[in-house]
Amino acid sequence: MTIAIINTDMNIGPFRIPGNGQNMITNNYAERNNFKVEEIIPEPFKSRSLATTQWVHKKKRLKIVILCSIHQLPLEKKRIKDLVNNMKKVEFHFALEGISGKGKRFLLDCIQEAKIFKDARIIDSQKTSWSKLYKIKNSKKY
Amino acid sequence: MKINTLINKEPGYAICSIENMKIFKKLRDSFLKNLKIPHKYKKNINNARVQIAKMSKAEINRSMINFLTFNKNLSEMMINSCPKLIKDLCGKDLFIQRRAHTTINVPGNEHTKQWTHYEMISGISPFTYIFWAPLHDLDDDGGAYHIDLKTSLKIMKKEEKEGLVNGPRVLEMMGLKKPPRLKFGQAIIFNPFVLHGNIPFQSGFARIACNVRFQSCNKPLLQKNTDYLKYFRLS
Ligand SMILES: [Fe+2]
Repeated sequence: MTIAIINTDMNIGPFRIPGNGQNMITNNYAERNNFKVEEIIPEPFKSRSLATTQWVHKKKRLKIVILCSIHQLPLEKKRIKDLVNNMKKVEFHFALEGISGKGKRFLLDCIQEAKIFKDARIIDSQKTSWSKLYKIKNSKKY
Repeated sequence: MKINTLINKEPGYAICSIENMKIFKKLRDSFLKNLKIPHKYKKNINNARVQIAKMSKAEINRSMINFLTFNKNLSEMMINSCPKLIKDLCGKDLFIQRRAHTTINVPGNEHTKQWTHYEMISGISPFTYIFWAPLHDLDDDGGAYHIDLKTSLKIMKKEEKEGLVNGPRVLEMMGLKKPPRLKFGQAIIFNPFVLHGNIPFQSGFARIACNVRFQSCNKPLLQKNTDYLKYFRLS
């Protein structure tokens, strides 16, 4: 039974976290929770299916996996189905959200929440200013 | 005037009554239960406050270890204690702060206080509201002061022209205003463009307050995302 941290593409929903940054976040999470990390699973760039993780799980029977965020979970139906079926007994931890759990319901809830946030509009903070933001707050357009 | 107008227009904040005191009292009981102080002081919030006022920062931090349990449902409890007002401001579908804050302020001049600031400094969206409530009556200056929106915006624009926001001009404002003396069961709700902070205060009691941020989930986000917010539907 293995404890693993998972590294993915640096584009994680609204966040951009380089690989070493992801390592720092997940390792720090592990340390705070007294988890001894035995495996680092690198998911390929541009992939959001967690297929490598599922393959490793078949070989090594993962007990706990730590990711940075729920935004790293798959979005496509088929990929979600595979993940939920293959990994329902594995405990998932999401460091940035600070949530953890296991089972089909938990994973689907996390995916659903990630989707709600994905669908939310985001103001580009680099293209705005404080006074513009105040105008936005009062504008009927939003 | 309607609370909605007070919060969104002038003065940018409003003192309101907690709608569901049963939930809010439960919240306070849960705070006391999870506080690491001798049991005999836990029956009454003021006894607990006297004990906390005597503690060092390190001791307070240690006493707060159990707060992780307390803080777990704090956001939902706070939101559910004022559902009508929150629904009026944002509708039923919300993004709420994943982990609401509990702040303990110890009396005495030597203790660092919260400098004057806009809540916007953290990258929450302009559509966010802040709900702040003490867990006891405020009989001294241990509360929080708020500066009216008009003044806050004037300062913001002036600073922005200088290529700065929440700079020294704002930071130096600490202590210009006295905090209102809220009763247990009252809260301040304010918009994120309102300057606020607190001041050193003299008292035999520590000040304990909780705060939570929320916005409509139909309004855009800014920098804060699932790291800070979660989806919540008011029942
Ligand atoms: Fe604040």
